[in-house]
Order: sequence, then C-alpha cells, then structure tokens
Amino acid sequence: MIENLKEISKDTLLQEVQKFADAKARFVTTVCSDLGDKLEVTYYFNYSPGVDMVALRMVVGKDEEVPSISGIYLTAVLSENEMFEQFGLKVKDMAIDFGGLMLLGKDSPVKPMVKDDAAAGKGGE
Amino acid sequence: MAPRTIAPFGPQHPVLPEPIQLKITYENEKVVDVVPALGYGHRGIEKACELNEYPKNIHLCERICGICSCMHGISYCEVVERLWPMEVPPRAKYLRTIWSEMSRTHSHLLWLGLLADALGFESMFMQFWRIREKVLDLLEMTCGSRVTQSVSVVGGVRRDIDDEQKKICIRTLQEVRQEAEALINVLATDPTVKARTVGKGVLTKEQAILLGNNGPHLRASGVKEDCRMLGMQAYGELGFEPVVETDGDCYARALVRARETLQAIDLQLEAFSKMPEGEIYVRPKGSPPANEAVYRCEQARGEVFYYAKGNGTRKLERLRVRTPTFANIPSLLVMLPGSELADVPIIVLSIDPCISCTER
Repeated sequence: MIENLKEISKDTLLQEVQKFADAKARFVTTVCSDLGDKLEVTYYFNYSPGVDMVALRMVVGKDEEVPSISGIYLTAVLSENEMFEQFGLKVKDMAIDFGGLMLLGKDSPVKPMVKDDAAAGKGGE
Repeated sequence: MAPRTIAPFGPQHPVLPEPIQLKITYENEKVVDVVPALGYGHRGIEKACELNEYPKNIHLCERICGICSCMHGISYCEVVERLWPMEVPPRAKYLRTIWSEMSRTHSHLLWLGLLADALGFESMFMQFWRIREKVLDLLEMTCGSRVTQSVSVVGGVRRDIDDEQKKICIRTLQEVRQEAEALINVLATDPTVKARTVGKGVLTKEQAILLGNNGPHLRASGVKEDCRMLGMQAYGELGFEPVVETDGDCYARALVRARETLQAIDLQLEAFSKMPEGEIYVRPKGSPPANEAVYRCEQARGEVFYYAKGNGTRKLERLRVRTPTFANIPSLLVMLPGSELADVPIIVLSIDPCISCTER
C-alpha cells in the first residue's frame, strides 16, 4: 500500500504538480504500470528538507495524451521519455523529446513494458 | 558572435567509466548548451523482473550495477518484505547495514581516486585505490565475493559474520580510516585540487531541490536529506546524521563524499559494537500478496527508489527502479552551460555518474 497517495485526473496534473514546486518539494520519479486497457501513472515527490514522500496517481487510456511536467520539474524529462518508449504513454511538450530512442534503439522491441501475449513467457525462466 | 561548435563528450572518455554521451555546444571555449544521449547500456532489467519468480530477481537487481550491487540486492529484498509484509531479524538488519556501509566506503574511495585521476594527481589516485582494496578484501572475506556480494535474501541475509571475521573487520577498518583521513586532508587542502574544483559547477540549494538531485550531490548544496534518516535497517539505532556542505560546487561534492567515507567506517564500527546475537533469516510465510510497496535506500551515489507491485502470483506485476544518477543527470543541463570547456570532465565526474544503474 502506498501512503500519502492522491488520485487525480490528467486535467489537474499540472496544477497539482505546481503546488509541489511552490512548496519546494523535490520530484523523485514516476512509475507507469500497464492495467490492460489503461495505463496507471504515479508521480512521487519528497518534501525537502525531510523525508516524507507524497504521490499523485492518475489512470489514462492508452491513446490519451498527458501534459509534460518537465516545464515545472526539468528532471522529469527522462522519466517521461522512458514512459513513452517503454509503455507508449504520449506526453505532450516534453523539454527534450528523444523520439522513443532514449534507452531503446531503432531495432529494439516497441513498447516492451506493455503486457501482451507476445511478451509473456519470453526470457526469464 | 563567435562560431558555435558542437562536440561529443563521450560515450568513451577518460573520466567516464561507463558510456554516456553529452552533445556539447560551445562558443569561445564556453559551454552554451548540453543534450545528453543515453541508451548504450539498457538491458531491460525491469521487464526481466516481471518474467521471473520473486527470489530470482535478487540476482537480476544485483546486476543493475557493479559498485552498488549489494545495496540493489538489499533494496529489492526490502521492497518485497514491505509488500509481503514481513519483519527481518534484528541481526540481519545490522548485517545489511554493515555491508551497505562497506559498499559506500569502497564506492566513495573509488570516486575519490577517479577525481584525483581526472585532476592528474596520479599518486593520490593510486593511494585511494590501494586503500579501497582492503575494503574489497573485507567484502570478499564476509560475503565470499568482492563485487557482486549477493548476501541479501527476502527475509534476511544468507551469511553471518563470526567473531574472528568481526575482529579482522574492526582492525582493518581502523587502518583504512587512518589512511583515508590522511589522504583526504591532502585532497581538501591541495591548491591544485581547489583550483580545479572550487566554484565549478555550482548549484544552489533551490536549484538542487527543483532539479530533483539526491545523494551527496544534493547534500553538497546544503540540503540535509538522506534516506538513512528514515531509520531503515539499523540506521535508527546508530545516531546517524547526514554530512552536509553548502557551497554547491565540485569541491563541496568532493568534501561530502570524503567525509562520508570516514562516517561510513564509523557507522560500521558502531554497528559491529551494537549488533545483537540471533537469527539472520526468517522464512516468508504464505504467498506474495496482491499489494504494492515503495522502498528508498541511500546508496553511495544517492537515493535509489524501488517500487514493487504484486498480483498474488509467484511473479511480480511490476518493478520500477529509479537510480540516483537517473535523477542527477538533468542537473548537468544547468551546471554545464556557462562553464569552461576544460571544466566539463570534472563537473560531469562530480555527480559520480553510474550509467549502468541509470539505464538498467
């Protein structure tokens, strides 16, 4: 169970993130998960100085576009690019757009973190 | 306006132990823009962790990085223990703390050596690495391996430290502390070291927070933040206080790591003196539940973030690892513009970049 978790929508994302920036909270990271027909995106923040962590969570359709928070927290740009290339999450107006080639190459699997029948059972055991 | 030149810094460069490229635009030897290029070492470890049963992922996570291997293994076990949830025996917590601090000691000694090497201070580089060998010897003696220690399991640790090994550890750590302190005094006062690091790559406290920095990089900008303050493992019983510097430059980052080297040795000695007798492992009961958990650990390079989501089966639904360098790389986009081209290697090195961790 994640403590201090607040459910939001993509429409209020920038507004909510701006509150953290105004409060001088530190951006920690994002976590994207494939829920089947939707994607769950969680943004983690940490109040400085201190160690309390707070999270914002939204669920979006796989074809939906979400706003980039890199205009507020530049450091989120790597996480956002990673979510795009690993899950196909469309992020609008990223400060740097690696075009799906930040960690993956041109010949790499497409959206490798998305759960589908093709990926299941490959590798690992 | 002078002509602008774009030059690649890396992926192969003497100060980079691992491959990353920075596309640097400069004008009259001044950096005006930087764009990082990653992707030289991505291995899809997060995906691989969804395909294996829980225990096998320990070995995968330990291979995210060589230097941070021990703490990656511990962090994975800790996040799974929170997800379960289950409590680890007190002695196992102390053993994890001791091995974590040994890892920090050898990681910081490695970095201090790399800094000396980057400055052309070859004798100091060799001395730091000579001392580091003694710490690696202790890891080999207590864990059976110098690099990938593989001592942590879900529910505790797989090895104990006996009284004879404890005596050797204490004696060796005291020697290492004495030798490291003498070298650090030279590093901290040498005019050449200061000339190359003081005032270089400055980040204010506000910038460091907004850029999401962590670890020694953050603490060198005056932010008293360290995951060990959370009191996980045995840290809550060791009177831990973070090392903080306020100047936010390369020199401050070096001082934080230097002081943390000595502090890590002190923490190990204190942990040895307080370590209780008892079990080192408790068998997990039942099956992993459908639950999610987060764990943060203070590695040598900074905060590592582990997120685990179970689905009630023997395999994880999702594992997310955000490593310290992943969060510290964006700060280069702020620190490098405006700096001299000749200072780029030192500034890049000052975040103690670990690309293997970053790309996973």
